[in-house]
Amino acid sequence: MSTIPKKGINATTPLVPEPATVVAVIQETPAIRTYRLVFDDPALMAAFMFAPGQIGLISIFGAGESTFAISSPPSQKDYIQFSVMRTGAVTSAIHELAEGDRVALRAPLGCAFPVDSWKEKDVIIAGGGIGMAPLRSLLMHLLDNRGDFGRIQAFYGARTPADLCYAEDRAAWEARADVDFIAAIDAAHPDWSGRVGLLPGVLEEEQPPAAGAVAVICGPPVMIKFTLQSLERLGFGDQQIFTTLERRMKCGIGLCGRCNVGPKYVCTDGPVFTLDELRRLPAEL
Amino acid sequence: MRFIASDGLPRLLERLREDGAEVWAPRVVRDTLNTVLFSPWSEGDEIETGAYSTLSAKQLVLPATERLFAYRYRLTAEGEKIEIEAAGPGMHAGETVVFGARACDAKALGVLDALFLSTPGQSYNDPHYRTRRAGLTVITLACTTCDSACFCSSFGAGPAETAGSDLILYPVGGGYLAEGFSDRGRELAALDIFEDSSQEKPALAETAVLELAGLEQKLLDIFDDLDFWRGATEQCLSCGYCTYACPTCHCFNIFDEMQGDRDGERCRSWDACMFYTYTLETSGHNPRPEIAHRYRNRMGHKFSYYPANQGEILCTGCGRCIRGCPAGVDIREVLKAAAARPATPGGALQQETES
Repeated sequence: MSTIPKKGINATTPLVPEPATVVAVIQETPAIRTYRLVFDDPALMAAFMFAPGQIGLISIFGAGESTFAISSPPSQKDYIQFSVMRTGAVTSAIHELAEGDRVALRAPLGCAFPVDSWKEKDVIIAGGGIGMAPLRSLLMHLLDNRGDFGRIQAFYGARTPADLCYAEDRAAWEARADVDFIAAIDAAHPDWSGRVGLLPGVLEEEQPPAAGAVAVICGPPVMIKFTLQSLERLGFGDQQIFTTLERRMKCGIGLCGRCNVGPKYVCTDGPVFTLDELRRLPAEL
Repeated sequence: MRFIASDGLPRLLERLREDGAEVWAPRVVRDTLNTVLFSPWSEGDEIETGAYSTLSAKQLVLPATERLFAYRYRLTAEGEKIEIEAAGPGMHAGETVVFGARACDAKALGVLDALFLSTPGQSYNDPHYRTRRAGLTVITLACTTCDSACFCSSFGAGPAETAGSDLILYPVGGGYLAEGFSDRGRELAALDIFEDSSQEKPALAETAVLELAGLEQKLLDIFDDLDFWRGATEQCLSCGYCTYACPTCHCFNIFDEMQGDRDGERCRSWDACMFYTYTLETSGHNPRPEIAHRYRNRMGHKFSYYPANQGEILCTGCGRCIRGCPAGVDIREVLKAAAARPATPGGALQQETES
């Protein structure tokens, strides 16, 4: 994976987060809210650098610290964005946050999508549900550097129209001629005039050519499973397919021991892996 | 060689204390249970030089629980803010001497160094560990006898291992021969409490030697053989004792300790990969739901993944997990059974990739 400078982490005390403030809260779906955070230290904020695919750990003191994909692009210097689905103790505490509330953040951690090696290539992005979060960062980064890549096709699937995040972004992507963006929902719905169908099927119908292309998929396990099958039928090889893994994490720096899949740590070797890399790992997902 | 009489040991340790070092030594702390722990030593305290310590000396570099930082909410002119104050290494941050480590304990420190002093791909390592390790002097007591759980000879030099030791004391008539293996150790051996000696080093213990050739790959080969792992853990209670007693196990948890309504401290403590909740995700998904899955990961980490990543086997054959297991699980039996498997050319995972 590409080596990304690990700026933003205090090198002398890597387990100590930096105070940050919530500058915006966006209700995306009934269960997902997006939070825009700014480090309280202006120098730290100004120096903050990351690449799409990298992660951050948000602390809600008393509840704990959890890992989330950064969903804003590197060009967004005003804030660092995370989309959080309410699931457990920490995410529930995060969902209590309002604009102006104080949190703490350790970011960026992990390895990014190796976009530098994708120059001139077609890029196919397929995101399901909350899995669209790191792919939003990626897609916006690709569009910021549009000339570097071939055709860009982006697919975003959710169960119902109300489960789709990023309404403004979707409208912007749909309006652009230099990206083929398709949002799809699983079954016909009175509020939906767009594409209907499970994402793997929609992707397969569009028949993106595998030659000179990479595919990036992120979403729930069942979506990943069937999208991989679709990509295989379209002729994508294991080294052309990228995904991100999630594991319970604590330290985020490869020391505490829990997020390993065989010899690889999701926090430091990932979260981005090629399918080829995953196939070489013990089957323990 | 240098020699120190048995009654010179307390004088040596007391001098180190006077020089400002914390001194830790194995002491019997519960007579009826014959529990020996590395404990703070001061003049007059008896030292246990026979029985092995029940727990290792890893707490001197990785305390069972330690503070990472304090967090406080403060009202300022710009509204409420969070103040975060890093805790520093706290315990054992200065000069610390551990007396009476065994070769297996001393070697374990070097095995931990491979991770905690050098995190691959990262520009930082563990600052608390680094500070404690830099101030730690290890005085090792060479083993001339061993018990039936010892199997350190399966890994490198066994009782003759010098890695991790600053000074090694070899028991001989009336005291100990002393040999330094670091600048610090040689400096200690030069003290006037020691005298020159022409005595020969004693014969060291010979422990059982397991045939572990090819284990790193074989454990990967049998990864999907769940019957093997279920058989190996049939008696396992998943209590985590082996991980706490182990001198090389180092996984930790991170959690907040509240102090009052909102302020508090973030701490880390020893964790155990044998616990169900260790990898339990918020969604309810658990990649290692069965004891067999967790034990498989523990063995894989020790004998395959850590060697691949850090170049060291995460076991020194100290035998503590065998002596202390309440259910009689014997890591040696599992290792022998795994090593007895025929080697697969290229390995099962590789074959799967090619098929």
